[in-house]
Amino acid sequence: METNTIIKLKDVNFYYGQSRALTDISMTFGKNKVTALIGPSGCGKSTLLRLLNRMNDLIDGTRVEGEILFEDKNIYAPDIDPVEIRRKIGMVFQKPNPFPKTIYNNIAYGPKLTGVKAGDLDALVEQSLKQSVLWDEVKDILNKSAMNLSGGQQQRLCIARALAMKPDILLMDEPTSALDPISTAKIEELIEELKKHYTIIIVTHNMQQAARISDETAFFYIGNLVEYNKTEKIFTKPDVKQTEDYITGRFG
Amino acid sequence: MNRQTKEIIIKYIFFLFALVSVIVLGLIVFSLFREGLPIFGKVSVKDFIFGMEWYPTYDPPSFGIFPLIVGSLIVTLLATVIAVPLGVMAAIYIAEIAPQAIKEILKSVIELLAGLPSVVLGFFGMVIVAPWLQDTFDLPTGLNIVNASVILALMAIPTISSISEDALYAVPREYKEASYALGATKFETIVQVILPAAMSGISTAVMLGMARAIGETMVVLMVAGGAAAIPESLFDSVRPMPASIAAEMGEAPFRSGHYQALFAIGIVLFFLTLFFNLFADYVSHKFRQIGSGTL
Repeated sequence: METNTIIKLKDVNFYYGQSRALTDISMTFGKNKVTALIGPSGCGKSTLLRLLNRMNDLIDGTRVEGEILFEDKNIYAPDIDPVEIRRKIGMVFQKPNPFPKTIYNNIAYGPKLTGVKAGDLDALVEQSLKQSVLWDEVKDILNKSAMNLSGGQQQRLCIARALAMKPDILLMDEPTSALDPISTAKIEELIEELKKHYTIIIVTHNMQQAARISDETAFFYIGNLVEYNKTEKIFTKPDVKQTEDYITGRFG
Repeated sequence: MNRQTKEIIIKYIFFLFALVSVIVLGLIVFSLFREGLPIFGKVSVKDFIFGMEWYPTYDPPSFGIFPLIVGSLIVTLLATVIAVPLGVMAAIYIAEIAPQAIKEILKSVIELLAGLPSVVLGFFGMVIVAPWLQDTFDLPTGLNIVNASVILALMAIPTISSISEDALYAVPREYKEASYALGATKFETIVQVILPAAMSGISTAVMLGMARAIGETMVVLMVAGGAAAIPESLFDSVRPMPASIAAEMGEAPFRSGHYQALFAIGIVLFFLTLFFNLFADYVSHKFRQIGSGTL
């Protein structure tokens, strides 16, 4: 589909205990593209997203088959440290989840772990907050608790926090589903801006959102990848009847 | 009788039951003060609390309880120093690290420790710990501060560990996920995210553990040694306040000065434990977070 691939999945199966959540998924994600994962609840799209930065490792009794190649290396190979993967592949969650720390320390948390020097932190915090278009709102209250921010601000803080790690890829798991329309619009603008420098993979339940912001769209149904194509194509002339039914709201 | 009247009657019956414990507490405090306060006609509050000599049966008697207060505080502090790391570490291990099977076993063992009667622990201190201390450090007696503190620590560990564990479980999963997603290791996540978020609950646990230790009677009666003097080393004997009351109340003549002084010690203890509980309450509110991070 695209020449510039950053992640490639080969025959990936994923199990929670005995039950299979993903079946034979093979797909590629393009570099500096926004890819939307859509599908009804329980279709495995969030599970897939969490496979890409090994967050599913944290759940007991899960098992992965197949290969997920990032920079041509299987991230599930035994010699790969999941901590390294997560530093290169950032994540933004459904519910804004800033730490109960100051705004500054929320951003500085990750870089400090990787040994960024204290002298360089100020600049990095400012840069990250500017990238997530939050700087002007918080530059005078950096030492206040992040818990005082509004939901939309908290989510942009979480994006800034992920950006401060200078990741290659940003995974977003329904990042606007807990936000009001105005905050949602701000986050969508932000994604438009970020895709110039980052690869973004976003799970969303909002069809309009997928249509507005993504370059590619993948439709999942009960653990299967049903259709994957350019967003324009998926939303105008899908090849599969099921995709059309879902997008037009006939089921899901 | 219609339904509403029944509801009202039921409501008041429950109110009465709830009131019973309040009334009982009130009566206990009242009698404590009625029996204890008259001592301050014989000795000033200052001389009572800061007096260095506790000779209640001499003629004339001397009612200075400072050595008893020091005895109580020092065994409580040392017990806390021992119990906090052990209790908190155990809670972290149980809540965050241990596999399910080990977690279950550890939890029940710690609960069992909480269920041991204090006299059994005291007995253990007397016949096992005391001779060992005496032989190992070549002491005149093994019944001393260290012994009492170790046994009190054993009693405080279950309190500290189980309340800390609840506090750790109450840390929202979202914080941990956020930390891991930023490439933090498990250890970094525990130290930098989970522990700070659980700090209010852990502080409460520590305070309640201390309250448990300072009011404990049987253990200090059996293993603290009973010397009413300011200790000079950790291997000296002391006579904590509860031990004094328990040991002497039987022989103090009814409403004598000695009897009143023992009740007055009870008043001091009452205020100390009250302070610990209020402080625990204050700490848990003070460090409570706002927003989704509320514990």
